[in-house]
Amino acid sequence: MKTLLLFACLTALPMLAAPQQFELNLDSVAAKASEHVDVSLNAATLQFAAKFLDANDPDDAKVKKLIEGIEGIYVRHYKFKSAGTWTQADLEPIRAQLHGPDWSKIVSTTSSEDGANTEVWLHIAGNKNIGVAILAAEPNSVTVVNIAGNIDLESLAKLGGHFGVPKVKPADKPKKEE
Amino acid sequence: MDWLENELRRALAREDPPDGFAERVMARSARRPSGTRRWLAAAAMVVVAVGAAGAWRQHQGYEAKREMMLALQLASAPIDRIQSEIRGITQ
Amino acid sequence: MLTEAVETGCDFGALVLRHQSTVFSIALHFLRDRATAEEVAQEVFFSLHRNLQQIETPAHAAAWLRKVAVQRSIDEGRRRSRRPQVALADVAEPTASIRPGDPLLSELLRKLISTLPEAPRMVMVLRYQEDLEPAEIAAALEMPVATVKSHLQRSLALLRGKLARRGVGESEWTG
Repeated sequence: MKTLLLFACLTALPMLAAPQQFELNLDSVAAKASEHVDVSLNAATLQFAAKFLDANDPDDAKVKKLIEGIEGIYVRHYKFKSAGTWTQADLEPIRAQLHGPDWSKIVSTTSSEDGANTEVWLHIAGNKNIGVAILAAEPNSVTVVNIAGNIDLESLAKLGGHFGVPKVKPADKPKKEE
Repeated sequence: MDWLENELRRALAREDPPDGFAERVMARSARRPSGTRRWLAAAAMVVVAVGAAGAWRQHQGYEAKREMMLALQLASAPIDRIQSEIRGITQ
Repeated sequence: MLTEAVETGCDFGALVLRHQSTVFSIALHFLRDRATAEEVAQEVFFSLHRNLQQIETPAHAAAWLRKVAVQRSIDEGRRRSRRPQVALADVAEPTASIRPGDPLLSELLRKLISTLPEAPRMVMVLRYQEDLEPAEIAAALEMPVATVKSHLQRSLALLRGKLARRGVGESEWTG
């Protein structure tokens, strides 16, 4: 009986939503931020959201294809009033977790213009990529992303610019006349 | 005023699109349902077919979609930047 | 003329007529290809049509269109970046002396701008086509103001140098 129960539990495991793959402990960053965005979407929520993508809309169709292999998306995004508010030490709790044996840094870039630093890490299990971590640190913002599951990074990059609803507020002064 | 900036304003002055551009845009847009019409049609169908509970689920669904799009947007921006920087180095 | 009045009073047809030059010109000056610029501009307006209910005022529409035109132009530029681009060496030397207001100079400047990397290129377009201040350019491109100013300074210096090597400079101007 016990063995049967254990087997039932193990077979149930793949059906559970993949939780985030590292702790997004950024309390020290959050405390200094003027704005923050916190999104946590497990597999069930992603599947539900995908039902509301419009198959006839080319942008929605690209998103639908992109999220097919994803089991969870976890994002923390912080904005600051001025540069220099956060420090590299604030990001150490994240980096320390990514230095584990299951994580492999594949890209690290630093902009010479504004010092913006971006790192991409892959979560590997048995020669298979099972997740991605993105750490983007700019003078006025910090973004940490964990995508659990399999995602095509090139397709993700190409989505840039296809989210056609920027919340742009009217300019204060009159602009060049049309 | 700096001579080069004057010339740049002249060189980059706005130009009109080809003749008939506005008509083509509006004709093609008329064949595509607008965001407003799509929302109203979906809301009406849900209320008639499944009642108020269905309408609430619809609202939740679009909220979930909005959150998903926001998350993907925040994730794609740094990857996009890396690709540009790599492209800039290799060109 | 097809129009769609929505609660905000932003009439789609009127917005197309009012902003078509801006949107088309951002794409044209960035991509240097009229057919592609028209396709990009059409996509920008289709996107507006899909999201019209989120536009709050006509001024919001103008800023929204500018931002989406910038994004779509940059996207299209990246898609095309695998194809051979105009190299600076291919930009023909002017064969006659250039005077202020000479269309040859305007064409030369447009070609030189097209050889800039995408970020400074778009900064220059927004500055000199749309007359935006650095803070407004920074908001449209989501980059720090300091970076915008740096792009402007470096691009102007680069253009001055390239023009000088072609014998085009301030000394050519009498006024």
